[in-house]
Amino acid sequence: MKSSWIDKENIQLQVEVQSWEEAIQVAGQILERNHSSDAQYTHAMIQAVHELGPYIVLVPHVALAHARPSQAVKKDDISLITLKDPISFGHQQNDPVHLVFAFCATGDQQHLEKLTLLASVLENESLIKQIAHTTSKDEVIKLLSE
Amino acid sequence: MKSLNIIAVCGFGLGSSMVLKMKVEEVLREENIEGKVSTADVGSAAATACDVIFTSYELGEKLESSVTVPVVMIQNFVNKAEIREKGLPVLQRLMAE
Repeated sequence: MKSSWIDKENIQLQVEVQSWEEAIQVAGQILERNHSSDAQYTHAMIQAVHELGPYIVLVPHVALAHARPSQAVKKDDISLITLKDPISFGHQQNDPVHLVFAFCATGDQQHLEKLTLLASVLENESLIKQIAHTTSKDEVIKLLSE
Repeated sequence: MKSLNIIAVCGFGLGSSMVLKMKVEEVLREENIEGKVSTADVGSAAATACDVIFTSYELGEKLESSVTVPVVMIQNFVNKAEIREKGLPVLQRLMAE
């Protein structure tokens, strides 16, 4: 079973991390493993939060980590990790974070379709809650495809 | 009819700002406000001509001092009620100018 915008292999559930940096690291490593981006891109996603603040926590409990399209990005890709224990990113209102999406894009336009689908997920608070607590990737794919 | 030039701003102008742009566009449609929404990164936003900027609090506080147009700051990027509550008064004022 495969949803149109995220692969089951790109999902890790109930990950244990000590910091928001580590959470982005784990989500970024999935993109690296797929050869969609490299360690430099993962580092850039973490650096972006250091420099620009935790605005990537777009809605309560969900962060969307990303950095600028660059040579480091080989293809558009998106990953998702859920955290066993939610972690603070330092956001005024949307902490603590349960779900971390990481995405990389080669250009400015191609990834739009995935982002549109992601945006509709972000609007659905009960869906986010269900994804945060499940231990089944199939369940996540099913929830994201609804 | 007057058309507003709006930019949604995030760190790189392609992720968060794209999500925000979609939601601002929906609000414009629902409120029958004529406007074009584009995206920009925080570095180039100050140099981009526009009528109003939508962004997060973190970036908005940085931007406010370097731009002359209103900056609408949003906590939840997909919350249309928040976009409407904070953005509509500004948009309506601009339309009336």
